[in-house]
Amino acid sequence: MAAGNPILQIDNITLVFGGVTALNGISFDVAEGEICAVIGPNGAGKSSMLNVINGVYVPQEGRVVFKGQDCTRMRPRQIAQLGMARTFQNIGLFQGMTVLENILTGRCMKIRSTWLEQGLNIGRARREEVENRRAVEEVIEFLHLQGIRKTPVGKLPYGLQKRVELARALVAEPTMLLQDEPMTGMNLEEKKDMSCFALEINREYGTTIVLIEHDMSVVMDISDHVVVLDYGAKIGDGTPDEVKNNQDVIDAYLGVTH
Amino acid sequence: MIYRETGTFITSYLEDRKLFPIPFDKWAMAVFMLFMIFVVPFIASDYWLAAHLIPILAYGTAALGLNLLTGMTGQLSLGTAGFMCFGAFFTFNIMLRSPEWMNLPLAMVLAGSVTGVIGIIFGLPSIRIKGFYLLVSTLAAQYFALWFFRSYPYFLNYATATVTLPDHHFDLFGIGETFDVDMASFEAKYLMSLGIVTALALFAKNLMRSATGRNFMAVRDMDIAASVIGIPVIRTKMLAFFVSCFYCGVGGALFCYAYLQVLGIRTFEMNRSFEILFMAIIGGLGSIAGSFYGTVLVYEFPILFSWAGDYLFKGAFDTAVVDNVAKITYGILIIALLIREPGGLAALWATAKQKLRTWPFPH
Ligand SMILES: Nc1ncnc2c1ncn2[C@@H]1O[C@H](COP(=O)(O)OP(=O)(O)O)[C@@H](O)[C@H]1O
Ligand SMILES: [Mg+2]
Repeated sequence: MAAGNPILQIDNITLVFGGVTALNGISFDVAEGEICAVIGPNGAGKSSMLNVINGVYVPQEGRVVFKGQDCTRMRPRQIAQLGMARTFQNIGLFQGMTVLENILTGRCMKIRSTWLEQGLNIGRARREEVENRRAVEEVIEFLHLQGIRKTPVGKLPYGLQKRVELARALVAEPTMLLQDEPMTGMNLEEKKDMSCFALEINREYGTTIVLIEHDMSVVMDISDHVVVLDYGAKIGDGTPDEVKNNQDVIDAYLGVTH
Repeated sequence: MIYRETGTFITSYLEDRKLFPIPFDKWAMAVFMLFMIFVVPFIASDYWLAAHLIPILAYGTAALGLNLLTGMTGQLSLGTAGFMCFGAFFTFNIMLRSPEWMNLPLAMVLAGSVTGVIGIIFGLPSIRIKGFYLLVSTLAAQYFALWFFRSYPYFLNYATATVTLPDHHFDLFGIGETFDVDMASFEAKYLMSLGIVTALALFAKNLMRSATGRNFMAVRDMDIAASVIGIPVIRTKMLAFFVSCFYCGVGGALFCYAYLQVLGIRTFEMNRSFEILFMAIIGGLGSIAGSFYGTVLVYEFPILFSWAGDYLFKGAFDTAVVDNVAKITYGILIIALLIREPGGLAALWATAKQKLRTWPFPH
């Protein structure tokens, strides 16, 4: 997907936890329609960066601008309403619910009927259930989750849970998708599937993707843009090729064998 | 080959969302309801209606209310009896102080709504605090209710201790006079309770299988993820408190009007809250039907056990001893059940149904 104007601007973000500076004056732009990979060793601040972007953490300094709106101090829900969705490093599924119910929660922002209408199961509430179910079925088909609709998510293997979580994010029809280590702990086959999904989502729906990933071959393959973090500082920012040849990055990250 | 899903292919999403996807379940439920409405009032004695069926319906409503809050939304509460107290007192006062056209079901809905609003107020701390600390706030609701109605005897119409609920409060649109039936009879009270409970259970079922119910469960399972996907977490919690306390309020009103026939503060002491918490846990947290299974078990088992104890050991031991042994046995049984199946009776029932479905060829 060809990169356009910046849809997300990270401007001089500093985030401190007690004595730990998780992010130290980070700035970068994400262009509309690109796949941007955020890489860096463990504890570099990658997850914290995503948490700042979608409002889970409020940074001490700096600004986050999404679609031209300053959303530094917005709540996660408001940012979701602007069209941002995400998946979590440690799986953020609702463990007491089935796959279908989990994915349906992703449609919560499309609901217009009130709880009274839903309790009485009348008109608008019934229609919305069918509409949302249709949207969910599309995503289920796209991510090949057909066989497990009624399975409680807790019973699924790790790889499938990650995929269900992606489905829940996608069904909200986001303009931007944040993925925190979607492929960690997966086997080669699953990783391939996951990267194909990312590419397809990006191409078919034009969704801008920011993803955190450790596997360099995957990163080099699918991303248009790579940001490298190390100890809360940005040490690299550019195309995969530029980053690959950046000496700081080689020293700090690529040189280290995992 | 009776209990099967085969032959019920899902042809539309609405179909997949049906209350009873298995036809056998639907028919069983229909037969059960018809039996409860048209047969039970004629064959059950006053004792069975007044001492078993009606209290189970009243308790069940409160247990369902608690389950909506604790089981579905994950907000612990020890204020159940307090909220029942509000519901019962407001219902009485609305009936007492309204013009002729007021009737009991409407008064219960109004009283339940006020109770719901009170629930929201005591639920406000849940915005910041979670888990066991929230118990403190709901406990405050429990004690506030008792204190409030003790301090303002106006709400008990200045009676000492209890007030007997007048028969004319039970009349519904003049049906009693027109058809010359006794609307304050146990049969009538039972049918009114059954109607209210059925409506409330259906409403809860619909709510739980739509967006609001999913929001409840999402908040229960992981509130950070819930807010990130756009669920209004605070509003969802407040709604859960409102709906839950509405149910508890109506449960309290049924408890006094249909079951005890008198209204008094002592009915709603702390131990009542524990009793209902017990019902919800044993029935299965997060299950609507489970609330009623739990109610039946907790309500009937002690009666059954002391009866069996009396029958078996009559004369051999002191009644008090038999009674205590019955209680201990009952307690051990409950613990065994919860260790084997933490999901309570509802989960036990679901497993049994699953086995039945694949019987005799389980794989
Ligand atoms: N909620 C938190 N409270 C305190 N420290 C935190 C918190 N979240 C992250 N940190 C710290 O911030 C640093 C960056 O963490 P994180 O963003 O999770 O790194 P990464 O995702 O790159 O592995 C770490 O030192 C971590 O201990
Ligand atoms: Mg991380």
